[in-house]
Amino acid sequence: MIEIYELNKIYNNGVEALKKITTKISKKRTAIIGRNGAGKTTLIRILSTQLMPTSGYALINGLNILNEEQKIRRKVSCIPQEARPVGLLTPYEHILIYLTARGYSFKNASEEARKALKAVNLWENRNTTADELSGGMKRKLFVAMALASNAELVFLDEPTTGLDPLSRLEVWTAIKELGSDLVLTTHYMEEAQSLSEEIVFMENGSIIKQGTFEEVLSEFKGKVRVESRKPVEGWKKVGGLYIKYVDSGEAHEYVKMGYDIKQITLEDLFFKYGVEIES
Amino acid sequence: MGIYYGLYTITRGFSYVIASMSLPLTMLFLIGIISRGYLLKFAVIGGFISLISTNALSSAGDASFLRLELKFQDLLVTTRITRIDYMLGLMLSYLFFSLPGIAVYAAIGVILNLFTAFRAFALFLIMLSLLISETSLAFIIAGIMKHIRNVWGIVSILSIIFSVIPPIFYPYTYLPKYALYALSISPATPGAVVAQGIFGMQPLNYVMLILLIAETGFYFVLGMNFIKWRES
Repeated sequence: MIEIYELNKIYNNGVEALKKITTKISKKRTAIIGRNGAGKTTLIRILSTQLMPTSGYALINGLNILNEEQKIRRKVSCIPQEARPVGLLTPYEHILIYLTARGYSFKNASEEARKALKAVNLWENRNTTADELSGGMKRKLFVAMALASNAELVFLDEPTTGLDPLSRLEVWTAIKELGSDLVLTTHYMEEAQSLSEEIVFMENGSIIKQGTFEEVLSEFKGKVRVESRKPVEGWKKVGGLYIKYVDSGEAHEYVKMGYDIKQITLEDLFFKYGVEIES
Repeated sequence: MGIYYGLYTITRGFSYVIASMSLPLTMLFLIGIISRGYLLKFAVIGGFISLISTNALSSAGDASFLRLELKFQDLLVTTRITRIDYMLGLMLSYLFFSLPGIAVYAAIGVILNLFTAFRAFALFLIMLSLLISETSLAFIIAGIMKHIRNVWGIVSILSIIFSVIPPIFYPYTYLPKYALYALSISPATPGAVVAQGIFGMQPLNYVMLILLIAETGFYFVLGMNFIKWRES
């Protein structure tokens, strides 16, 4: 359970990355989605005690991030965005370093490393230096570290950014092996849908929507998205497209006019709120 | 971490070990030739000091790389280890990394009959305090820098200022007092002065001994505050 109260972060350059957020995250697996700069990473870094907030506080399973960080660090594991392995070390050594830093004995760390590397299909590469691993293998290594940690709560910050679809699927499979509570950030909608029970949609330092997949999309219930590649007056411009939301009953009218009809997905939250705020 | 990061860097990246020894060995050669052997002892003892200083200062590059590029520091923040553990772990890795170089200089020192048990132990303590103070300096640099590219440049400049210009390879009495004290901003200066005194090559300077101890503590505390363990 994560309880967040009036959490605010203003960086030295004056950017307000979090705007007095108050919420509770109680589901076992939660995805924080939002565009780049929405505040996802700042939120994760504060919750995992890597970064101090400017004001406000949060409780991680009842422990205050402001003054109980040592206790929290024993219970959580956080894989930072764009974390990369040390080139000269092997996957096995990475996990040993990580687990001994978490207080494991060498013997227990070895055993957990073996289990985790097998779980993510990296056991055969356990003695390969990280420089020689593919991008997907490197990300899987970090998931294996989280897996091996046996932490109560795992934070994964954009665990699959930059990976090809096949590697992404492999990392998803590895993440699904995690028995811990999970909070992940992503801007891949299918990733959020596949890996989490609860969605937190952030934009511009605030939480715009939060709930199950159905709940966050409830405002789109009974609607479809109509798309046009050519400008249409009154429609919203999203990238190279012009879109409009209509009742599904009206969809056939737009089909006759030659427009494309799309089912509602989490992307529509971005289209509706992200672009609206920007324009 | 010290074991893996230090020992495996030796076995899997030995060229770095050779590179770290190149400056002191070059100085040893040049000083030996130019002084016709007269200052050879200074070059050998200075080699120990230079090796540790250069390696420790170079850790600014590694510390920045681990923090800014690999995010490895962030990964370790959310564990049981503290900023002091992390600093000591990296220091230990640099001690391991320096071992081949230390072995080479120890062999030369034995050939030149420089060591007694007391001198060897005292030199070890001096190197240990230099490792702590100069690695701490490296953490200060790594904490200030926002781009890793700048770190390499700063480290190159500081390596010369902190490890070549101070009286490491020549008698400290060659320097005017004001210059000696000005150069004492680098822990390598009091380290080298004390070493020259202990090895009987120059008078033992007790002010420099106190300065060496004080700087070790001072830079360590400063390093702890600059490491950006939990950023604000």
